[in-house]
Amino acid sequence: MDMEKTIAPAVAGCGTAQDWIDAWRTARTEGSDTVMLTSDGPILSVLLMNRRTGALSRLPWDPRQSPWEEACQPSWAGIGETLGAESRIGQERPDLAWQSSKIPSVRGKGIFVYPLGPVRADVAEALQYRLHVMGDEIVRLTLQNGFKERHIRDLVVGRTVAEALPVVARFTTTSNIHHTLAMVHAVEDAWQIQVPNWVRVTRTLLAEMERAYSHLGDLAALAVSTGLPVPQMEYLHLKETLLRISFSLFGHRYLRGTIVPGGLSTSGWSQDADPVGCARVVSDVLDQADAMAVGLERTSSFLDRLHGAGRVPSETVEWGRPVGPVGRASGLGMDVRQVRPYADYEDSDLRVPVEETGDAYARFRVRVQELDESLNLVRRILGGWHPREISSDESAAVVSGAPIKDYGVGIVEAPRGLLAYWMRFAPNGRIAHVGIATPSERNWAVVPDAMANSNILQDFPIIDASFSLTVAGWDG
Amino acid sequence: MYYWHWLKNVVHRPHTTGFPTERDQAVAAMSDSDGIRTGDAGATGVLRRALAIRHVDAGSCNGCESELALLSGPDYDLSRYGFSFTPSPKHADILVVTGVITEAMVPVIKNVFEQMTAPKRVVALGACPIDGWVFHGAPGVRGRLDGIVPVTTTITGCPPTPGDILRGLLAAVDGVDPAVGKEGGR
Repeated sequence: MDMEKTIAPAVAGCGTAQDWIDAWRTARTEGSDTVMLTSDGPILSVLLMNRRTGALSRLPWDPRQSPWEEACQPSWAGIGETLGAESRIGQERPDLAWQSSKIPSVRGKGIFVYPLGPVRADVAEALQYRLHVMGDEIVRLTLQNGFKERHIRDLVVGRTVAEALPVVARFTTTSNIHHTLAMVHAVEDAWQIQVPNWVRVTRTLLAEMERAYSHLGDLAALAVSTGLPVPQMEYLHLKETLLRISFSLFGHRYLRGTIVPGGLSTSGWSQDADPVGCARVVSDVLDQADAMAVGLERTSSFLDRLHGAGRVPSETVEWGRPVGPVGRASGLGMDVRQVRPYADYEDSDLRVPVEETGDAYARFRVRVQELDESLNLVRRILGGWHPREISSDESAAVVSGAPIKDYGVGIVEAPRGLLAYWMRFAPNGRIAHVGIATPSERNWAVVPDAMANSNILQDFPIIDASFSLTVAGWDG
Repeated sequence: MYYWHWLKNVVHRPHTTGFPTERDQAVAAMSDSDGIRTGDAGATGVLRRALAIRHVDAGSCNGCESELALLSGPDYDLSRYGFSFTPSPKHADILVVTGVITEAMVPVIKNVFEQMTAPKRVVALGACPIDGWVFHGAPGVRGRLDGIVPVTTTITGCPPTPGDILRGLLAAVDGVDPAVGKEGGR
């Protein structure tokens, strides 16, 4: 892995804010993707990743070098993917004089605003949608988040790695393995730890289990949003089946606490588990999920609601560069597992589905194909895997003492897309700063434009379910 | 294709577990045997039959929501006890609160509780609304549902399994944990 390489600054010493933004925009057009924007002390840093080689570069800017009047905002300069980070930094740093990035509301005769949330739907996370409608048509959507801000980035500063892991694993539970994995990669990067092959294989297994149950839950939500409870129930049953397999093998339904720096924590694992039997059940799940997808593809009432609904406009795709299934459904075929293979993905030949239309149907198709791929991978690994081959955990010995590098980067492909941790460590091994870029935070930025793209109010729950983003990932 | 599913379900046993009122080894293994604490706080009047649940997320990590969504799935089928989720607090009998209780959600929780008609119950779901769990002491996090609204039942676990959530909901209704016994209660 090329994670050990030091990240070279892309441009040495950007002068003014304008220079910084221009260099950032140039890097974006020349084949790099923004991974995150973070503010460590006074310096703002952008982490960029080359879309083909996966090479990382960093673009720092010191706001003390130029007066604030000249400061311009990334989202106004056509860089939308760090909108969430931008508004967070804007609140913390009044010296930047960044304007809050709220989309202006629409006024006019016959326009109503439906406030929806933070208490909404049956079981839903706290987020307020303000739907501006004219008759039935949605003309504008504004999102109000921050109801469930837990300040995880501040909470973990000053802690040791072992103390921070339980907090990070509760960022978003339906991607907790990927959050842990990204942080563990950052730690292993800083301490220069290589993990043995069986650890990598097991981590791939855990990650793909998580992707599979997460996608099954999202597909259930999509099915019921179109008024189809039968596929919803089937998908929920398949999800429960996978969660029970997780429990029987790893002692936790959501696999939490299984990954630690330098290895795996096997304390809760069942030693007399039957992975081959589980592989057989996963195979059944795969067959049933395929049959469900075929059934839905033949259900005209389902297809009618999805085709053309919530299309992300192409200029918004360019501005916000969404990641994960949302990005891949809009023609951005980036998958971290291919670009920067981690765990065991280098050896597993992965098929990454890409759709071009960018509507709810494309997101459904991408999710169905990814689910298929994940379950296949899980089945393949489980067939030749046994917990007995894995020795006890090595976490305590590994993270004590000083890190070899003072920072580390971990980038993974979570079920909802690119997830990155950029951590700086104090000489005593405690966390000095952490930048976290979650896929949900990034993808929420393109939701308003997709929603206000000649859709009617009745399409709202379907489009919302087709994105299936978490609010916990935004309000970390 | 769905007809085939119906036929198949006639031949096979349904997926639905009998837990917590009947024995089910697989679900009981995942359950936390003393995860339910139920009291009389705020439990006025008797609740019967159709019970509408209003869920409020006050800073959760999405885990409790995932388990709540599975409750309506065929494996747990909460509707067999008369439970259902409702979008409106005014129709609700049980308030289920998940998450760490952020300051921003305190007035929202109070508002929802006031809009619910009596008799009503409050359930604190998961370790977060009981004591703040790993987020204890985070800025802007209250960490305790108790003291904002009267809490009838607490269900620990991170996240609690759907089986335990069902147990807790049943315990909130009549004051008896169905997995423990029939003594006491309202």
